[in-house]
Amino acid sequence: MSARPEPEARWLAELREQGLEAFAALPMPTSKEEVWRYVDLDFDLADLSMPEKAGTPLGEGRFTVAGIGGARIVDGFVDDIVQPDGVTITPTSEADPAALEAAAASVIPPDLDKFSAAHHGFGTDGLLVHAGKGVAVDGPIVIDVQAVTPNALSLPRILLVAEAQSDLSVIVVYRSPDEGTFYVVPQLQATVGDAARLRLTTVQAWGYGTVSVGQQRTVLGRDASVHHGEAGIGAGLGRLHFFVDIDGAGAHSEISGLYFGEDDQLLDYRAFINHRAPNTTSNMFLKGAVEDASHSVFTGLIRIEEEAQRVNAFQTNRNLVLSDEAGAESVPNLEILANDVKCGHGSTVGPLDAEQRYYLMSRGLDRIHADRLQVRGFFEEAIGKLPHQEMAAAIRRAVNEKYVRAQEEGRL
Amino acid sequence: MSTALAVRDLRASIGSVEILKGLDIEVGFGELHVIMGPNGSGKSTLCHVLMGKPEYDAAGSAVVSGTEMLGTSVDVRARHGIAQAFQYPTEIPGITLRELFEELAEQRADGAALLARVDDIAARLGTARFLDRPVNEGLSGGEKKRSEIFQLAVLAPAIAVLDEIDSGLDVDAVREVAEAVERMRGPDIGVLLITHYNRILQYLTPDRVHVMVAGRIVRSGGPELADELEETGYAELVAEFGIKQEDAATGDDFLAGL
Repeated sequence: MSARPEPEARWLAELREQGLEAFAALPMPTSKEEVWRYVDLDFDLADLSMPEKAGTPLGEGRFTVAGIGGARIVDGFVDDIVQPDGVTITPTSEADPAALEAAAASVIPPDLDKFSAAHHGFGTDGLLVHAGKGVAVDGPIVIDVQAVTPNALSLPRILLVAEAQSDLSVIVVYRSPDEGTFYVVPQLQATVGDAARLRLTTVQAWGYGTVSVGQQRTVLGRDASVHHGEAGIGAGLGRLHFFVDIDGAGAHSEISGLYFGEDDQLLDYRAFINHRAPNTTSNMFLKGAVEDASHSVFTGLIRIEEEAQRVNAFQTNRNLVLSDEAGAESVPNLEILANDVKCGHGSTVGPLDAEQRYYLMSRGLDRIHADRLQVRGFFEEAIGKLPHQEMAAAIRRAVNEKYVRAQEEGRL
Repeated sequence: MSTALAVRDLRASIGSVEILKGLDIEVGFGELHVIMGPNGSGKSTLCHVLMGKPEYDAAGSAVVSGTEMLGTSVDVRARHGIAQAFQYPTEIPGITLRELFEELAEQRADGAALLARVDDIAARLGTARFLDRPVNEGLSGGEKKRSEIFQLAVLAPAIAVLDEIDSGLDVDAVREVAEAVERMRGPDIGVLLITHYNRILQYLTPDRVHVMVAGRIVRSGGPELADELEETGYAELVAEFGIKQEDAATGDDFLAGL
């Protein structure tokens, strides 16, 4: 790999340096570390090369959606920016320094692990989406992130900045061809200013040969809110290590999502919700299913700092295990240092419900259709909570197709 | 014309516990039969065994419209014409009642006709508001029972098995449910109503009343039998037919857990 020298903001340059240092110092993670426990990495980042330029972009896909503007990132290279009114979309290399500066608040530490180090040390370019103070737009910015050069590593970076009192809506779709191996370390960071609102939907629809080790961090100011929706559909290894730092009093974080693993997919979600200010709330609602020999992991840590009094924080993670060979781990955790808080978590892992099956069959549905309906209903609750309902139909189709296909091919 | 339901020497057990111990009952088309009995007598088990719930081992015979149902799967029985109104209807999150009907319609030869009558029946029973919310979710006890009756009216089975359709309801709700049952009656359907109390019978006139104790029908008679039971209670019958009280209690808890 080689760093690509280019003019950049001072803090970005420092991060690059820190990234290179961390990359040299850190080993590849192993499953001995708790946060990597279920991941078996059979490659070394240091052996991978990065494309010199973007490959040929993919055409429209099943999650292609129209927005008021957006951009494409192919193999880590930003192109095809469609500039909407009100919000500024630029490559970081061309960004307004003041706008870029606000993004520094939500940096993902380069020494988080070797992947973050690689991202910072070798990242080609980033995309900055900036909503100025008080700006509200009436539709989503759509970012189409692609990996198209086989056997190569790409490091797409998205920086979202919603200045005070602004209202920003962003849909990110991650995709790559079904055939071929692709390595991606995407980072998405969001700075949400005082009383600003961010609605963000991320659709992870990489091809099954793709290894994606992503990090994401959202930092909330006073009375700020984020609603993040996640759909985990694709990737051989689809990992998302994400942080929500609730730093401003009165701020709220809502996370809704779903994932569905088949074949030998591993979908690995590591969530860290940090309440660092009083009167803050967070709610996480994730539903997942696994079939064939796929596995899913959800670990969610809600940490409530001593100064964060009068906090409400909840997380729910429900999992359907549809095949004997499949498995789901669900480990919600609370770490509470304050004394005036309301927290809770619910976690379930299990097969389809026999009572629901009986009820549906007693109405005349055969077992196949009864189970199909139950799976559909299971995900419907999560789909209904996604912040961008314009994505609901495509996401619904994608998860239900996985189940129907497995039924039809006799894999269940 | 065959009967709606003909049950002969029906036995059923769960694990090593025998719950139904040789039960006979015959419900003709156009008839309403009532089974009464104390807790633990096996009434709910009878419903589930007729419906084919997998955890029961059943022997004997249960014929619906001339076809033997034992040994067939739940959905085959449903399509052949058994429908049960559940005592504790299961919630189906994320699927509305209308979506359930639509899915059923796709599976049935008479699907179009089924869908065509949904809204009419809903209007008649005042249950239209149940259609566009998830099945049984957020419904009160009384609403769940009405939703069950509504579904049965749409399904138009040969034999409707109503399991304690009156339990847990206040007086007004019992009357409403009874009225819905009354509207369901007709020459093409037999109704088997299972109940612990006779209060729903203030609003319904059964053709036959059967008393079930310890997994058997111990007495059968006309509507007057229900009145008689109201006066005497089950204690005498329980003593006469030898069910031990501890068994009854165990059975009750056991059934409640199903």
